[in-house]
Amino acid sequence: MMNLLPTLAEPEHFAFWETGLFVALAGASTYGFWRRFGPILSKILQSKKDPDFHLFPIGKRAWDFVWEVLLQAKVIRERPLAGVAHALVFWAFCAFALVTLNHCAVILGVGFLDPAGRVGQLYFDFAAIFAVGCAVGILGLFVRRFLVRPRWLGELSWGSGLVALLIFALMATYLAAFFVTAPSGAVQALWWAHTLTLLAFLPLIPHTKHLHLVLSPFTVFLSRGEFAHIPPLSGDEDFGLVAGKDLTQLLSLQAYSCVECGRCMEHCPANATGKQLNPKEIVLGLRGYLNEFGPGSEEPLLGKYNTQEAAFECTTCGACEFQCPVGIEHVPILVGLRRGAVNTGVWENDYGSKLFLALERGSNALSMAAAERDKFVEKQALPIFDGTQEYCLWLGCMGAYDPQGREIVLALVRVMRHLGASFGVLRKEKCTGDSVRRLGNDLLFQQLAEANLEAMAQNRVKKIITICPHCVRTIQKDWKEFGTPPEVEHHSEFLARFASQLPSAQNEKTIVFHDPCYLGRYRGVYEEPRQVAALAGDLVEAPRSHERSFCCGAGGGLAFLGEEKGERVSKVRAEELAATGAGVVAAACPFCNTMLRDALAARGEGAPELLDIAQLVARGLPKGSAE
Amino acid sequence: MKIVVAIKQVPDRDAPVRIAADAKWIEERELQWAMNEPDAYALEEALQLKEKHGGEVIVLSAGPERVGSTIREALAKGADRAIHIVCDDLNARDALGVARLLAAAIRPENPDLVLTGLQSEDLGLGQTGVILAELLGLPHATLILHVEKTDAGLKVKRELEEGWFQSIEMPLPAVLTMQSGGNKLRYATLMGIKRAKTKELRVVNAAELGVEAAAVVTLEQISAPKKQKSTQILGGSAKEAVAALVEKLKTEARVL
Repeated sequence: MMNLLPTLAEPEHFAFWETGLFVALAGASTYGFWRRFGPILSKILQSKKDPDFHLFPIGKRAWDFVWEVLLQAKVIRERPLAGVAHALVFWAFCAFALVTLNHCAVILGVGFLDPAGRVGQLYFDFAAIFAVGCAVGILGLFVRRFLVRPRWLGELSWGSGLVALLIFALMATYLAAFFVTAPSGAVQALWWAHTLTLLAFLPLIPHTKHLHLVLSPFTVFLSRGEFAHIPPLSGDEDFGLVAGKDLTQLLSLQAYSCVECGRCMEHCPANATGKQLNPKEIVLGLRGYLNEFGPGSEEPLLGKYNTQEAAFECTTCGACEFQCPVGIEHVPILVGLRRGAVNTGVWENDYGSKLFLALERGSNALSMAAAERDKFVEKQALPIFDGTQEYCLWLGCMGAYDPQGREIVLALVRVMRHLGASFGVLRKEKCTGDSVRRLGNDLLFQQLAEANLEAMAQNRVKKIITICPHCVRTIQKDWKEFGTPPEVEHHSEFLARFASQLPSAQNEKTIVFHDPCYLGRYRGVYEEPRQVAALAGDLVEAPRSHERSFCCGAGGGLAFLGEEKGERVSKVRAEELAATGAGVVAAACPFCNTMLRDALAARGEGAPELLDIAQLVARGLPKGSAE
Repeated sequence: MKIVVAIKQVPDRDAPVRIAADAKWIEERELQWAMNEPDAYALEEALQLKEKHGGEVIVLSAGPERVGSTIREALAKGADRAIHIVCDDLNARDALGVARLLAAAIRPENPDLVLTGLQSEDLGLGQTGVILAELLGLPHATLILHVEKTDAGLKVKRELEEGWFQSIEMPLPAVLTMQSGGNKLRYATLMGIKRAKTKELRVVNAAELGVEAAAVVTLEQISAPKKQKSTQILGGSAKEAVAALVEKLKTEARVL
């Protein structure tokens, strides 16, 4: 029986000089590894401790580790072909842990897996299957890197070519040992070839992007765990990421973990439209900074390696962070750099200052007089929230002051009345602070959050419903830093819950739904708005949808920062949506709505109609009902 | 250059203004307060002068305890220290009375330059700065948009009517009342607020300054302006109507 299975050939004897040579080479190889890895590790450990880091609860961490690292699920899901190729290599490395250990142990006379033994043979054969997979995978990755070459892989790196070659050689020398019999010169030669490849590979790891092999399992396991989570500032001298002294251990670990795959760059709306920002370069910039100045340095982070311009081009859409296979949290990094610049007054931008000054003195981000909101509430006879209604309808700056935003609010009001839901609006509202939070103005954000939290408590608000995903996010997650916010939901979730009670108003026009970043990636709500939109017609999908949705360009406060460099993000997205041939573009965010409106209008005749999902539903209500 | 900036705290633009029961003043409860805008520009000019020429910026404000928040804002934006003249009866004092308070606090400081807004957003009298100059015995200029330090003293840009400007050279020390819009205001920062906590804030009681409170001007009554809308329909041919409209925009609305 056993003879039917292939058997690995292993040298039976080693000359004394062979053992001596191996020990010397292994020592040199380990030294080569540590000489580079040691300083990196110490830079990570010397960085500031993460003030809000908690190892527990550990369950989610363990699951992320199993899902993202061991099962390679994220790598495969987001980029199937390259992902499977990578997984084959990764799984082979796991299988080879024992093989390699035994391989080195053999020359020291302490081999523990006997190729002729039952367990040994089975294991070696098992590893051989992975070795074949790995060889195929690495060839595929080689072809992709050197022949197909997507633009986001960056400059050609001979280091990764060499590493691919070494990995292939490792597998080949292992597999070849199944086709020779010991004792023979061939067996000895193969053993040495495998060993030399291995020892050459080890010191290459910390010198190349293959450092992720060692670091990224830790990065994934230790990540903050919440998507785009902005950590609180700690103490009187923390103003965000100003200089090296502000880089935390997790940030430094992430900076060294980057594998330069460029998924962040591929999905970045700023990068895709000709702006300076490249999320990959931001992370590599931090690495360059750490290499040159080290943690604890007073040298500004926005300077030699990263620029203020790039940091302020981010829409905080989070596509980069969502895609990253090694657990890098780009949004907190970019927002952190902005915090450093804004909290210390270094950022000078006319639009930004105007927004900040408007919110220092006024109530809303649109620089409108608060009386305009009062007039709107009065004219539309919106009920005032008095603590007895179920929902507090939060208007938000767009819903209270923007003409289109108001239309969306009124559509939702009609639907809520139709459903008999009880709701009221607050007498006064202040901006939730979304834009200033993400532009890095912590002073203003704190003032707005605290004033709003106080108003919530005074008015005994328990449950908020709003048309703006940015408000939802800021109320639910960001306000938490300063108190306990009420429950909050987006109107898509509310409408989906009552979908069975809403009229179906099927229209001939097909509908394409644009996923807002702050509803999709930030909140994980993808199906509810589709369910609602589907009441009004057949849905088609844009090429980039769900968690891969492409930003409208408004997020991160950019809606207020004036004209963009390069192409407008909104134009690219509007064209993509229009190209689906849908008659209606359905939106679920007043910011997306305003950005797409301008971009679609620029297309002129024949552009699809743009409506919020609440407007789509309201259209189907019987005429004159609950007006 | 040692610069004193006199600032006033006024009701925030978005604050709901209600007339008090005695119709002498507005209801102050539930109001939000902010720095008088022209004073914010005075502060900005002072900070820029300090950044260019060195020296010290001292903010000075008279009013009840609530004024402290505006003083802290000024410190956060970069003023070096502050003097708060505590008086709960600011509204009972006329412009002369307030200027006397400010002058009494300024004299011992012996500043090179005193800046203040040309008027307040609440009363809009435009008097305090000018009276202050008289009390201090210093030359003054009003409606200033920009200040430049020269060897001899100052060169200032003054706003006139109809988009005209006047350039004046004047000696130091001096008092200037600043117009809004000459500079870009800076936003308050977290670092500024934290640093402000360690800055000196001297509190003086109005009574300690030995200034008489009797007003020569008293406010009899305030009232809300009557809302009025009037619509005119311009007749005639399109050409005539356009000509009439342009004329009205020029002479009545003064937007052209």
